[in-house]
Amino acid sequence: MVRTTQSLADLPEGSTGTIRDIDALSPTAQRLLDMGFVPGTPIKAIKRAPMGDPTTYEIRGYKVGLRRSESSLIDVEIKPDVK
Amino acid sequence: MSNKQPHEGGHCRKVFLVGNPNSGKTSLFNAITGERHRVGNWPGVTVQKIEGITITDSGRLIINDLPGTYSLTPATPEEEVVLKSLDEAANGLIINVVDIANFERNLFLTTQLVELGVKPVVSLNCYDSFTRAGGTIDLQKFSSLTGTSAFPTVARTAEGVTSLVEHLARPESLKVECYSNLLALPEIWQKSAEEVLAFQQLKWSTATPLQKYNGLRELISLKPLEADPQILEIRRRLAAQLSIGREKPLKVIDLACELASDRYRRIEKLISLCAVIPGKNIPPWQEKLDALLTHRFLGLPFFALMMAWIFWTTFSIGEIPMGWMESLVELAGNFIRDNLQAGMLRELLADGIISGVGGVLVFIPNILILFFWIAILEDSGYMSRAAFIMDRMMNSIGLHGRAFIPMIMGLGCNVPAVLATRIIDNRFQRLLTMLLIPLVTCAARLPVLVLLCGTFFPENPSTWMFSLFFVNLLVLIFLGHTTSILFKTADNSPFLLEMPPYRLPTPTSVLHMLQEKAMHFIEKAGTVILAGAIVIWVLSVFPREVPLSFDFAAELAAIKSRPVTSQTGEEIASLTRKRDIEQMEGRYMARIGKLMHPVMAPLGFSWRETVSLIPGFLAKESVVSTLTVLYIPYDEDLGKAMHKTGMTPLTAFVFMLFTLLYIPCIATLGVVWRESGSTKFTALSLLVYFSIAYIVSFAALKIGELLQSSTGTAAEAVTIILAAIFAGWYLLRTLLNTFIGRQCKSCASCSSCPAKGNDCPGG
Repeated sequence: MVRTTQSLADLPEGSTGTIRDIDALSPTAQRLLDMGFVPGTPIKAIKRAPMGDPTTYEIRGYKVGLRRSESSLIDVEIKPDVK
Repeated sequence: MSNKQPHEGGHCRKVFLVGNPNSGKTSLFNAITGERHRVGNWPGVTVQKIEGITITDSGRLIINDLPGTYSLTPATPEEEVVLKSLDEAANGLIINVVDIANFERNLFLTTQLVELGVKPVVSLNCYDSFTRAGGTIDLQKFSSLTGTSAFPTVARTAEGVTSLVEHLARPESLKVECYSNLLALPEIWQKSAEEVLAFQQLKWSTATPLQKYNGLRELISLKPLEADPQILEIRRRLAAQLSIGREKPLKVIDLACELASDRYRRIEKLISLCAVIPGKNIPPWQEKLDALLTHRFLGLPFFALMMAWIFWTTFSIGEIPMGWMESLVELAGNFIRDNLQAGMLRELLADGIISGVGGVLVFIPNILILFFWIAILEDSGYMSRAAFIMDRMMNSIGLHGRAFIPMIMGLGCNVPAVLATRIIDNRFQRLLTMLLIPLVTCAARLPVLVLLCGTFFPENPSTWMFSLFFVNLLVLIFLGHTTSILFKTADNSPFLLEMPPYRLPTPTSVLHMLQEKAMHFIEKAGTVILAGAIVIWVLSVFPREVPLSFDFAAELAAIKSRPVTSQTGEEIASLTRKRDIEQMEGRYMARIGKLMHPVMAPLGFSWRETVSLIPGFLAKESVVSTLTVLYIPYDEDLGKAMHKTGMTPLTAFVFMLFTLLYIPCIATLGVVWRESGSTKFTALSLLVYFSIAYIVSFAALKIGELLQSSTGTAAEAVTIILAAIFAGWYLLRTLLNTFIGRQCKSCASCSSCPAKGNDCPGG
């Protein structure tokens, strides 16, 4: 199976990925972890704002908007078999 | 239950409400306490503390509404309050409000509490939409698996609140037993935490929740270099133990991630054992509405329409009740003038106090209408969407998307705009917005511009007005940029914008908001504004007796004794004018103005302009009326008089620029002081405005002088052109970044940014 890891910030609108890693050194990381952005969690990029940033994501049944500065802390993996 | 008389000798318990933002915590608080609550500050920090009381059969309950937070680990000063109150809360009672429609994430905080040995009463909120969507939960099982007592509630309709309160009032609910349950800390973790606590001669079993929290925090702290070697050793051992049986060994730095993952694993297990979560708890109509409201092309126009509607109702419809208020104030003033003897008391009452009170009351209609809409936007869930679509633009000047509404409202009046910064929950972001709002040109500053532009630039007043706005905007963007570059870190501005589901706002919550806003404004800011108005009034009428250079009464009598000629009327008028001017010059206000004049003289202002700036502090529109009075001896027409005394179009331009920037009016200052809760911040921002106004005006004067003088050297010309190009480029770059740019220049965590080097210019 081909596995591709990329930054959450680059996850295309409408696609789902699985969180692989999070930059533990960033001060925001702890808050993201606490909100459920832990490795193995599926996350879907719902929509980018009209001006390109931020982006809404769906994770653990709720929606949250992240700026690129936050979403680029997270690495996701897109499995070809996940829609 | 809230109408019962207090029981004599009944116990009095402190109850603390904790929960995620948007979990319905405040609705639950209102449902429990009804109307009785008071607003104060948490000791040490300027975070609002809301306390309410409810009376039950067995005693009184003092309910504390703690700031909403996703986790005990604080990200903002507000959230630190939760952690600091933890021990006190553990000694009383904790209600953990859990939005069951958002179960997993809400249980994270519950898990943290349970790990630390706290036994919260869990209020499973939004229970109605959960069951409607097909969700079920075995409450008995949930309680026994978590060691908590759980109550289904619907805070918006107060459903289930009675049985929750009854439970709180029972004395036995205070007992905390030691449970071994699903959410408890795994043994490996607890042992390591125990080792950390041993350094401070503490034991896990006897330590307070806060001590336990700190022990655990030592294990996962994200700054590994700061820890002492012994703790590092414990961490290393913990990581090694946790690595057993894994394909990839765990690194010390991943411990924080591992603990969070472990908590979510426990939560997932708990939910799978006791509840059925509806697959899709967002109804399809909401999805459609959301797609429309945040649409790439339709989202912005829709938001603009909504803003226009709110602005129009706030300031145009608001004018009608404002007119009533004004006539009421006038009536009261006249009543006092008619019924009191002439004298100091009458003047103080009629001109000082009544008009001061009027100055406070005129804001109420605006505030009520604006907050009516804000409450509806906030409760319906649209506010988050608005912040979402505007964030890119606001971020370019260092602000949060939510700052757009306060900034735009500033165009009408800065006072409700500053109050509206309440919608920004991050304190740093709120202060930054408050700092920038006074630089938004409010409607009261327009008369000065209209008058002077019309007088000094009769050919094209609008062009010059536009250029003033342009400079103003440049200053605003510059200040926003600079402050955020200097002070903004990822610590003080994490951006996590939760999109709550759309809900129908309830009349009670809207009413609560309006009542609280109006009372808060009158009580807190109103007193400051009133005091300021009285001070300015005193300065403008005292000292009562000013030594005159001539005997006015005698000369008047002399004129009157002479036979009446065609010039008599004129003579009397000019004499009166002369006396008025001398009296005015003798008042404290003019004396202060003259004292300040040397400071302002480099800007080309005469003492008259300097004096007019003082009442301008009370309200910017008074600048014009004061100038009119001061210039009367030269000519009846203000414009001509100013020309006569040597004011040039350039000084007029500089004066307008200074008036726009120099200082917010006293009402704005009052609300900034009260809302920021910080005298230091208010004083510092005053200093910032004044220095910016001074520097910008001075630069404008010098540039203008250079442009006018034909003797300007080539070097000077180049400097001016370069400055103009730089300013234009700066503005253009900001605008471009706003609309098309995708650089991560505002990235607060650039050091750890994975995209660094690709498209991050290192901002």
